[in-house]
Amino acid sequence: MAADKKTKLLAKQLFKLSVVDGTVSPEQVTGVLGWIEKHSPRHPTALLKTYYRYIATELAKSVASVEHAGPIGDATLKQIEAAMTKKYQRPVTATAKANPKLLAGLRIRVGSDLFESSVSHQLATLSAAV
Amino acid sequence: MLSSILLVANTATEHGGEAASGITKIMDDFGINVPNIAAQALSFAIVMFVLWRFAFKPVLATLDVRNQKISDGLKHAEETQVRLAAAAQESAQIVRNASVEAQKIVDEARKVAKEFADKQQAEAVSRAAETLAKAQQSIELEHRKMLDQARGEIARLVVTTTERVLAKKLSDADRASYNEAATKELTAL
Repeated sequence: MAADKKTKLLAKQLFKLSVVDGTVSPEQVTGVLGWIEKHSPRHPTALLKTYYRYIATELAKSVASVEHAGPIGDATLKQIEAAMTKKYQRPVTATAKANPKLLAGLRIRVGSDLFESSVSHQLATLSAAV
Repeated sequence: MLSSILLVANTATEHGGEAASGITKIMDDFGINVPNIAAQALSFAIVMFVLWRFAFKPVLATLDVRNQKISDGLKHAEETQVRLAAAAQESAQIVRNASVEAQKIVDEARKVAKEFADKQQAEAVSRAAETLAKAQQSIELEHRKMLDQARGEIARLVVTTTERVLAKKLSDADRASYNEAATKELTAL
């Protein structure tokens, strides 16, 4: 069932309560879930789905998914974490994932943002330009 | 009247004497009898009067009427002939006018037909030029499309080949070096 306007608004308010200093607080999330369980607001399933989507999106902003072809060291991941933390003004952790299709280079995904510097991307750009 | 005539005749006979006897003899020889002649004259006059009054006069009147009718008929025929001649002249004039009008119409029709043919020819020429231009444009577009497709296909083949070559030829050291360069590039954003 799709969430109505009031449910979305409530989910947004609960999400804001779950974020402390720009990061999702597990304690706050636990508290919010307890409140939902106790008070059972209207359309609880739709409310929980919407709340989950907000939390997942926010958590994704705190994770930098690094796809790479070839070896990548911890120092590189740390360097990426530091750069993304500085860029987004929040703690960002980097997770590595091998992707041989890149041929060489990196693809970093933070939330809905994508940063890429890879051979396959350059070849695709070249192909599109031709 | 008859009696007075007979009386005059008897008196003349009596006074005639000898000379009269000769005339009387001649009259007797020829069988002439004055009273009979007088009676016959009277009868003739009566018959004449009756015939004149009841036969000749109506016949003459009828003849006059017929003569008048014939005269009227002739006059009417003459008028008819005059009118016929006028009508013939008028019809000839009408035919001449119609002929002139028909000639005008034919000339106008020829003129219109010529204009129409010229217009059709001009339109056909214009249409042909337009069709030719469209065909040239279509050929040009088709040519460009073919070139684009060929270019895209060549690029795809080049990229695919390059990917395969790089996948085989790039060593881990090359990839690590490239990754370091990519890290520097991405963290500098």
